[in-house]
Amino acid sequence: MNRAELKVDEAQASVQMSGDWVVHNPDMVTPPARPAGKITKVDGGGLTGLDTAGAWLLLNLMSESESAPQLELVNFTPQHSSIMQLVTEHFAATQMNATPSALTFRAQLGRGMITFGKHISGLLDFVGRLTFELAALVRRPDHFRWRELGAQVQSIFVNAIPISMALIFLLGVVFAYLMGVQAKKYGANIFVVDGVAAAICRELSPVIIAILVAGRTGAAITAQLGTMKVTEEIDAITTLGLSPYAVLVVPRLIALVIALPLLVFLGDITGLLGGMVVAQQQLDISGSVFLDRLSSALDIHTLLVGIGKAPVFAIFIGLIASRMGFAAKRDAQSVGVNTTSTVVQSIVAVIILNAIFAIIFVQLDI
Amino acid sequence: MTETVIEVRDINTTLGGKVIHQGVSLDVRRGEVIALIGGSGTGKSVLLREIIGLLEPGSGSVKVLGEAVWDLPAERLGALRTRFGVLFQDGALFSSMTVEQNVATPLREHTQLPLRECLQLARLKLAMAGLPPDVATKQPSELSGGMRKRVALARALALDPELLFLDEPTSGLDPISARAFDHLIRLLSDSLGLTVFLVTHDLDTLLSIIDRVIVLADGRVLGEGSIEKLRQIDDPWLTEYFSSRPQKEGLNGS
Repeated sequence: MNRAELKVDEAQASVQMSGDWVVHNPDMVTPPARPAGKITKVDGGGLTGLDTAGAWLLLNLMSESESAPQLELVNFTPQHSSIMQLVTEHFAATQMNATPSALTFRAQLGRGMITFGKHISGLLDFVGRLTFELAALVRRPDHFRWRELGAQVQSIFVNAIPISMALIFLLGVVFAYLMGVQAKKYGANIFVVDGVAAAICRELSPVIIAILVAGRTGAAITAQLGTMKVTEEIDAITTLGLSPYAVLVVPRLIALVIALPLLVFLGDITGLLGGMVVAQQQLDISGSVFLDRLSSALDIHTLLVGIGKAPVFAIFIGLIASRMGFAAKRDAQSVGVNTTSTVVQSIVAVIILNAIFAIIFVQLDI
Repeated sequence: MTETVIEVRDINTTLGGKVIHQGVSLDVRRGEVIALIGGSGTGKSVLLREIIGLLEPGSGSVKVLGEAVWDLPAERLGALRTRFGVLFQDGALFSSMTVEQNVATPLREHTQLPLRECLQLARLKLAMAGLPPDVATKQPSELSGGMRKRVALARALALDPELLFLDEPTSGLDPISARAFDHLIRLLSDSLGLTVFLVTHDLDTLLSIIDRVIVLADGRVLGEGSIEKLRQIDDPWLTEYFSSRPQKEGLNGS
């Protein structure tokens, strides 16, 4: 690549271009100095290459105002002079600069609050529409999509069984192990059973499974619905005289409400199993002793409290996920943003709901 | 002006057990505006993807600007790709960026130019593509289909390529926008000395701006040349394709 050079002849108010004035030439990064006087004539005889970037750079060097400089072109090849003409014609458009200023902290805070308010009102609006659709479905139950429900239960429940069971099993193991280390010091080995039973069944299994489902299923629902919006499938469903809520949202929501308590129950079993394994290895509590103690330590209330929280978590995860899917704009970025938002919102909702449940149950003495 | 910029030799392609190409060969010379036509499913877009290095053909060779696309090491292929621009069917604009950032991206990635110059050059390309200046700071989702195509054209031209590939440039545009887009392509091709290779269904595009047409049928090149020459070929698809034109003229006439 030839060096891009500019020779200034101030006496004749002209410049001579030579070399490759093309975008890939590294010389373009540090262009020749701007000539001192006004230039009216450009000699392109020495050019070995010229493209629009090079032509623009020359005009930018010569220009003193926002409009393209009036230059007389000599010795340009027809190709080069037509490039110069094209760039001269559009030169003015490149001279306006409107870089948006960065948002101040207060503006960001304000925008954040508006977004938060929009989320809340959007969710309320969504719940309203959904209730309306559910009422319609109750009047005409034959319109319910059993097949879709089955498919959703398959993907939300059946496919999630291994990961949920493994997760809570390990939690049971860790919990029993750490508690056992402490209990051993006081010779209170047997109370590890009480601790594991209460912690797993009442708190750990429901909350961890809900968070897992929020990440696994919630994100999937948002991404699915968001993509369907991008490809106009949701509009197609509407114009076919069907309700996207009845077709897409209701089966997913019901499947979630069915799946989450079942997963929590399976989690309870494997969590206790994990505790039992550790108790046997670490604390010399045999399986039969563990089970015997469990039957008195694990109140049916404890189990029901844990499982009873699950459908509530499920409803919130389903609502947030479907609403964020419908709220996606028609571009790829929006689907990604909303999917992330679903996971964050669902996990926050699960934690807050769990805290509210804890207070209510303590007050009710359950 | 007779240098060959695209040379395709004996391409064979099988996709999913279906034979797409059986020995396709073609040449494109510098400065030509070439159209590739053919019925649906004749592998026009597949051939385009093979030429620009996105899909490897089963056998055969592809040379673009004198370089064998499928034998190049990755960094040389990358360098070759900065010498041609591609306009995808739906524009394929990056939806997370503004219009001017979209156009400035190739400049930012492949040149050392400072950001300010990149954005100014982006605006130059947008103006050349016939877009008003206020479009530059908008998001792609705020634009109409025709404008998106123009932005995509501006992005394809960002690095001043020697060669421009267009996949159905006028599909999804109304006839007036489509004709305007055709003339823009011809204007840019003439003034920048671009070689243009386009895949199209649009007969009006062929009749208005094309130097030479290549017809793909049954996995082979059925014929090539001017429209007049192609009208002579006895092929049911081609006959029907060209016969849609007189009817149109009849409707428009007098």
